Amino acid sequence: MKRKILLVITIILLHTQVFSQAKKPRIMIVPSDAWCITKGYYSSFDDQGTKKQIPDYKKAFQNDLDLKLVISKINGIMAEKGFPLISLEQTLKSLESNSAEDAILTSKTGGGITESPIDKLRKTAKADIIMDLSYRVNESGPKKYVSFILAGLDAYSNKEIATATGNGAPSFSVDVPILLEEAVLNHMDNFSNSLQKHFDDLFENGREISIYVKKFDTWSGDLEKEYNGEELGTLIENWMKANTVKGRFSTADATENQMHFDQVRIPLYDASGNAIDARAFTRNLQKFLSAAPFSIVNKLMTKGLGQAVIVLGEK
Amino acid sequence: MSIKSILIIALTTITFVAKAQQKFTKVKPTEEDKQTYAWNYEIECAGVGTDGMYLVKVYTISSKSKLDLEQAKKNAVHGVIFKGFPGKDGCKSQKAIATNPNVEYEKNDFFMNFFQDNGKYMKYVSLSNAGQIDAKDTKKVGKEYKIGVIVTVSKDALRKDLEEAGIIRGLNSGF
Repeated sequence: MKRKILLVITIILLHTQVFSQAKKPRIMIVPSDAWCITKGYYSSFDDQGTKKQIPDYKKAFQNDLDLKLVISKINGIMAEKGFPLISLEQTLKSLESNSAEDAILTSKTGGGITESPIDKLRKTAKADIIMDLSYRVNESGPKKYVSFILAGLDAYSNKEIATATGNGAPSFSVDVPILLEEAVLNHMDNFSNSLQKHFDDLFENGREISIYVKKFDTWSGDLEKEYNGEELGTLIENWMKANTVKGRFSTADATENQMHFDQVRIPLYDASGNAIDARAFTRNLQKFLSAAPFSIVNKLMTKGLGQAVIVLGEK
Repeated sequence: MSIKSILIIALTTITFVAKAQQKFTKVKPTEEDKQTYAWNYEIECAGVGTDGMYLVKVYTISSKSKLDLEQAKKNAVHGVIFKGFPGKDGCKSQKAIATNPNVEYEKNDFFMNFFQDNGKYMKYVSLSNAGQIDAKDTKKVGKEYKIGVIVTVSKDALRKDLEEAGIIRGLNSGF
């Protein structure tokens, strides 16, 4: 009997432990645009008369062994720290194969997979933190050295949350792969330290997300519509004040048609101790708007952990 | 075996265990430890370490003209945890492992044990070139001597153990 009670207590404790873990941000290393263009890994297109260059990551991975070496070294170091990264190369491959599978998948009656333009767009946005990587092998007389830049960018706020930059020690004879390996080893601790500060801030002040409130043009109402003498936009702001960590958020944009809130600090856990992200947090705003006195039908969409969009008027 | 013999053996065992425990749980510095806890040293990068290691030169400052190598090792580990070190000649500067500057005082008991003679710090540091001191690394500054020696610090192992002991947070903590 005692054993059974102990077993039940252990299971409950383990359960609580599992649910008290915050959602882990997904991190991906991406070679910088400047690096790709300098190395010739890009494609060009004509954007209404302006020639634009966009990085071709697939070409970069297929042709540049040094890039693979640097990324693999960084991956190894991050995995050692208990933070394995998402592989951009594998993500690209899986996107390709998924598209191919979707294209040939049909139902028994001949129906295909439904994919809206917005679904296609989402497939490219995969990481919550992007590690933007640039490096260059320089020559100073007979010596070689590596310049290295690694910038951690929050994919939603576009804030630089971690960085490591600098030059390696000049060397006469060392091979380029060894110089690159040294550069990674030399820079990763400082990068991890600044990432750690970001995570510490996240645990103290909440996760930073951004929320958009928009309206379908088919909806007759707007954000200036009044309920009990207050405009809908103001009531949404009051809801944000009441539900964010320490009431912290900024109204970046507010018109009768849309509102944009950034630097919205949401708690890591809900009242039951479950980890929450932008979707879980904004679902509460969705419920608030669906209930009386508003009774507004609305659609909730999210992008990764950190961005949510509510569109008012329809599903 | 008589009761007297049993009592003598028991008393000897208890004394031995108590002494051993005292050695590993002392938290107050003795006169000998004053040098250790003064933390009078300078630390700088001495080259690119291999994977998981830092190669640092640590200058111990004391009134003695002969370097206490154990003190130099303690200083190196202390520097890596709490101070970080500046770079030199393309050798990259590194920040302290502990991001909370007050952790040394908040976890005083842990660090008193950690840095005591034959303490846990020894696991993470080794002398480079068998502790040979370059002639230009011995300087007299006023009445004190500043003597530098190159050591290797196993920073990855050190960080991991400090994380597991709950002294510092790891990247993975809380997720």
